[in-house]
Amino acid sequence: MDISKYIELVFTDYTLRTITLGTAILGAITGMLGSFAVLRKQSLLGDAISHAALPGIAIAFLITGAKDTNTLLIGALVSGLIGTFWIKNIVTKTHLKSDTALGLILSVFFGFGMLLLTFIQKQPNANQAGLDKYLFGQAATLVESDVWMMAIVTGICLMVMLTFWKEFKILLFDADYTKTLGFNTKTIDILITVFIVLAIVLGLQTVGVVLMSAMLLAPAAAARQWTNSLAKMVFLAAVFGAFSGVFGTAISASQNNLSTGPVIVLVASVFVGFSFIFSPSRGLLFKQIRVIKNRRDLELHKTLAFMYHIAETHENTSHPHKIKLLNNFHGYTKSTLQKLVDKNYVKINGSMWSLTETGFETAANLYTKQETEDE
Amino acid sequence: MNSAQLEIQIIASLVAIACAIPGTFLVLRKMAMISDAISHAILPGIVIGFFITQDLNSPVLILLAALTGIITVVLVEYIQKTGLVKEDTAIGLVFPALFSIGVIMIAKNANDVHLDVDAVLLGELAFAPFDRLLIGGTDVGPKSLWVVGSILLITITLLILFFKELKVSTFDKGLTASLGFSPAVIHYGLMSVSSVTTVGAFDAVGAILVVALMIAPAASAYLLTTDLKKMLILAISFGVFSAIFGYWVAHCLDASIAGSITTILGVVFLLVYLFAPSKGIIAVMYREKQQRTEVSLLTFLLHLKNHDEVEERHVNHLYEHINWQKVRAKSVLDLAQKNNMIHMDNQVVSLTKKGDEFTSKAINYIITNEDAQIEDMKDDFFLFRG
Repeated sequence: MDISKYIELVFTDYTLRTITLGTAILGAITGMLGSFAVLRKQSLLGDAISHAALPGIAIAFLITGAKDTNTLLIGALVSGLIGTFWIKNIVTKTHLKSDTALGLILSVFFGFGMLLLTFIQKQPNANQAGLDKYLFGQAATLVESDVWMMAIVTGICLMVMLTFWKEFKILLFDADYTKTLGFNTKTIDILITVFIVLAIVLGLQTVGVVLMSAMLLAPAAAARQWTNSLAKMVFLAAVFGAFSGVFGTAISASQNNLSTGPVIVLVASVFVGFSFIFSPSRGLLFKQIRVIKNRRDLELHKTLAFMYHIAETHENTSHPHKIKLLNNFHGYTKSTLQKLVDKNYVKINGSMWSLTETGFETAANLYTKQETEDE
Repeated sequence: MNSAQLEIQIIASLVAIACAIPGTFLVLRKMAMISDAISHAILPGIVIGFFITQDLNSPVLILLAALTGIITVVLVEYIQKTGLVKEDTAIGLVFPALFSIGVIMIAKNANDVHLDVDAVLLGELAFAPFDRLLIGGTDVGPKSLWVVGSILLITITLLILFFKELKVSTFDKGLTASLGFSPAVIHYGLMSVSSVTTVGAFDAVGAILVVALMIAPAASAYLLTTDLKKMLILAISFGVFSAIFGYWVAHCLDASIAGSITTILGVVFLLVYLFAPSKGIIAVMYREKQQRTEVSLLTFLLHLKNHDEVEERHVNHLYEHINWQKVRAKSVLDLAQKNNMIHMDNQVVSLTKKGDEFTSKAINYIITNEDAQIEDMKDDFFLFRG
């Protein structure tokens, strides 16, 4: 299937359009809220919450007996919130550390959820099939009303976020200061947490319990590499998330036997990998280039300093010396010498070199002031 | 109870022990989430291993998958070292990616792989007795029993051999390094054992429930003791108890054994969390309330010492002045009286000699900024605590 045909299909085919829209919106909202989770160093909280939501789904089904998505998601929301607050309680009230609390709640809730799911499966109720789609998600089961639901929640999220932008931001970077300013940090904290739980619960149907945390983290971690401003980061994360959703859906739709959730997660991971390597200010590639550049500068300076010490011994600082003299000095290479000539620090005459006036001056001041424009 | 049931319970108990031992150290080293990462990330290793060996219990598969676990740890540490993201984010990025690859590999080769995603999450403990190990034609028991048994044997041997090193490096990395042990070797050793255990237990209880078996018993034990040996023993007992009890619950409900074991682990943790003698929630809350009353008492006594005037020390005035609610004021007043720190004379409160002495000492500690000392002093003065 070629791309133009696929794009046409996205606009004409009901299922594909719904799924593409759904995953895009989902990616945007999780990216947005994920930024807060990442910056608050609560990256793994998402993992715990999504696992903790599972028993809620099963219990909601056991109580109502219906497979209505919204009812099940309310169950997931409640159980996710219980899990989250239990984690917070364990960390504040006992000496167990946050990693233990996260791992514990995550696995215990999930295990309990699986117990309930397998229990439901044995029940003589034809309605029970398909609950396990919440494990890995099945984007194919999205219908228009689900997408509307996601859009509405995203809208509310956006509104609340814009209203409390200042509070969210200040709490993120300086909690103590926020408290002294008289903001109710507890309420703001709970607000952010509730929204994170909400975003996770929304994604369960599409991406599933197991992989949901990656949707929260990956776009935010990628966005973090490109900017130091919170607003830009949130915006970028939303864009990355939405694109992961769209591309992931496209890839899984064009192949057989590819579940959407894992593909979306992989696409988001590719975004992260790309950002890690190619981001201009923090990326590994440019960092490595900077390291090499600095090393070269250093070599250059070393050669220049060596020359300076030789030239110093003469009354006439521009007195020519043999190039051979430099050979047993390890900072020296032909290219560094050439660079020094280019910079007009050194003159070469046959097999002799001599420092110029500027070269001598620069060398004399080499270790007393910082040269920045060098290379 | 037939022999298959017995075998399942033995396997479950062995898995629980094998998980509890590395789990205790992971919890103490604040690396509990690493076990979560490993348990997810070994999936592609298991799938590839399965393509090669066609046998879930083969040692080659276990080693291959364990290697994936160690690669995960190395990858997480590498990403963390670049400083681009924090450690927890690094964990959260690596394992879903690897797990996704595993899930896609299973889905793509669904016809060739007798692995389904449910089994990955839950394991198939109920079927474990059917896969027998035959040596020279004789049946020597279920394969997974031998696999888990050997892993447990290795773990216990390593634990006994390196107990001292593990203990020192867990609590004091600097001391370990200065004593000449390499913390890195111990770290990766522990990671290897955790990976191997996870893979071995994977077949029986599945990816996510391995995490429960590692963390929950250790966390419960940590609330009950601060002695490493006792903690290990407690964690193992909790694990084995949950394994056996969980099996019977699953038997009654006709539901997943692994899920039910985890649920029991959760219940055990909840009970310990609520009722642990000194670190449980109830004990902590009681202590907090006690402290609150005692701080109030101290404030009250200081007030009395500051004021000689009769009207300042009148009971009714006190209610207004310190602005406590009636109940609280009464409990503080009662406590003070029970401890002979005040005496009431015609609705006017005054300090006794003992109360005066206590208050002077307390003031002394407060001005010299040694508030903590007040806590010790309370033992000498208080007959009844708040």
